[in-house]
Amino acid sequence: MDNVIFIISTILTVGGALCVLLTKNVMHACVYLLTCLLGVAGLYVTLGADFVAATQLAVYVGGVVILMVFAVMLTGGPNSQSSNKFGIVKIPMMGNAKTYIIGIISAVIFGLMAYKVLSRVITSIQAGEAPVFTETVEKIGFMLVTDHVLAFEISSVLLLGALVGAAIIARPKRGV
Amino acid sequence: MMTLTSYLMISTFLFLCGLVAVIARKNLIAVLLGIELILNASALNFVAYTRFVNNNLDGHIFPLFIIIVAAAEAAVGLAIVIRFFQIRESIHIDDATQLQS
Repeated sequence: MDNVIFIISTILTVGGALCVLLTKNVMHACVYLLTCLLGVAGLYVTLGADFVAATQLAVYVGGVVILMVFAVMLTGGPNSQSSNKFGIVKIPMMGNAKTYIIGIISAVIFGLMAYKVLSRVITSIQAGEAPVFTETVEKIGFMLVTDHVLAFEISSVLLLGALVGAAIIARPKRGV
Repeated sequence: MMTLTSYLMISTFLFLCGLVAVIARKNLIAVLLGIELILNASALNFVAYTRFVNNNLDGHIFPLFIIIVAAAEAAVGLAIVIRFFQIRESIHIDDATQLQS
């Protein structure tokens, strides 16, 4: 089971990184970066780092890549309204074979990750005990507020400063 | 199959892809994508070493801070890209010449 997750995650990671490097379209590069980050999250699961994998999914796949996609859309790019030679605006397809294959592989790895994380809960529920789920999460929580509390606070100040700075920099031009 | 060496090879490959993307791509957003790849390679190294070398959880703390810094960096970087697009109407990397003269 671990080997299957490892192989699929490696394929997603390496292929996603290569496609980020080689594709011409920036929007496609963002989507390939998403598959690459998903593969890295799978590698975290094989290494036993559940909380880091969940954070990777929530912050990167849910936040940073969406931010990238919005930036690509706000900064123009190639003209997306494609028309054929008769001047009729062509409705683009929902996807091609490549995107469907990537979607299927992503769904498989997400299912395997969910199974791997939840398997202990499922077996312990079947055995009639309380679920043993939050091993690394509990320890990481203790370590964040005892040993690494200074870095924790500094990171909160860093995030506040970065978001205020980003809002000020990207502010539209006044009047002029 | 799941040894430390294989994880280090994957991490090295990610780092090389990110480095080539930072150097060779001519789009500002693609450069930011390369920086994300480099940060992920370093975080993967931390988790791999803490799994195979020492088993304390300090190596799980560091990827969390790397992810935080990457989110902040992406926010500020994309704000700069959008501002640059408002000024120069382009995000090609060779158009960023305002600080040279």
